[in-house]
Amino acid sequence: MSLALDIPRLETDRLILRGPEHGDFDPLCDFLTDPVRSEGFGTEKNRSAAWRWFALNIGRWALHGYGYFTIEIKDMAKPAGISGIWNPEGWPEPEVGWVVYDGYEGKGIAYEAATRVRDWAYDSLGFTTLTSNIVPGNTRSVALAERMGAWFERSYDNVHMGAEMLYRHPGPSAAQEGAA
Amino acid sequence: MQTVTIPTLSTERLTLRAPQAIEFATYRDFMISPRARFIGSFDVAAAWREFAAGMGHWALFGYGPLHVVRDEDGALVGEVGILNHDEYPELELGWTLFDGFEGHGYAAEAAYALRAWAFAEHKFPSLVSYIDGENAASIAVAKRLGAVEDPGAQKTDPEDVVYRHSGRGRLQ
Repeated sequence: MSLALDIPRLETDRLILRGPEHGDFDPLCDFLTDPVRSEGFGTEKNRSAAWRWFALNIGRWALHGYGYFTIEIKDMAKPAGISGIWNPEGWPEPEVGWVVYDGYEGKGIAYEAATRVRDWAYDSLGFTTLTSNIVPGNTRSVALAERMGAWFERSYDNVHMGAEMLYRHPGPSAAQEGAA
Repeated sequence: MQTVTIPTLSTERLTLRAPQAIEFATYRDFMISPRARFIGSFDVAAAWREFAAGMGHWALFGYGPLHVVRDEDGALVGEVGILNHDEYPELELGWTLFDGFEGHGYAAEAAYALRAWAFAEHKFPSLVSYIDGENAASIAVAKRLGAVEDPGAQKTDPEDVVYRHSGRGRLQ
């Protein structure tokens, strides 16, 4: 049989969201193994654990048709972060996630990428609702979720992360009217 | 869009083909059971990571795990795979039988077919199998495949023995 990896290439004004490539591993590994930067995402204990995350994200695209995109700033051709749809074993429901790598914060990249990913999930995958799971204390992610129009719904225990706050995004029509 | 062809291989009694998402439950039950003790310690989340990382192999490298189905009744009996995890010094040929399917020679039969495909398709100079030194059943499979213990091979787990496959060994 053939395994079709139909990962779309999405664009925004400043960004390209594309499928993961071999060369994306090193910057991803730097992020995942940095306990401070990856605290709210899930830190991997070493390079080989980070490699599994890299491979399983691609596996997720193959198995389910969604996962994390690599974010590139146009004309820079270097990964600036990742954003995607995530719903692994043990998750309460599908979420929109975002990560911006060291040196790319403060430019609105996460907002621009995550909003595009959310639109894609509603338009192309047919999702009718989405969430974002945020670790208490991650005020930057809370601010971003709220800027996207999401609201705090409840707290729950995440299988990997422990106590998390579940933010609910506006549904397809409301999101497209502009959440900010 | 990238398209990867995952082969379907046939042996006398078995069919090896791409893992399917719906088969995760069988895989999970094995991985969280004591039968997986020689592979590592897994909870459900870790089993899911391993399953999805296996599928990622096919996209990244053009090889990876295949699920082994018994032709006679369609039972999912195990998994064989070519694996290239970052911590592995060399490419591994691995095999696993799910509960209740041991003792029929399925692991060697399936691994032999995958190995033949791997050497023909990818022209690997050799493959190794990292096996826990106490996993007598798996060491027996390596020997049936004609693999030879390589005491000088690099390994990440000091408890492992390393068997080397040349591609010329016959099924014994």
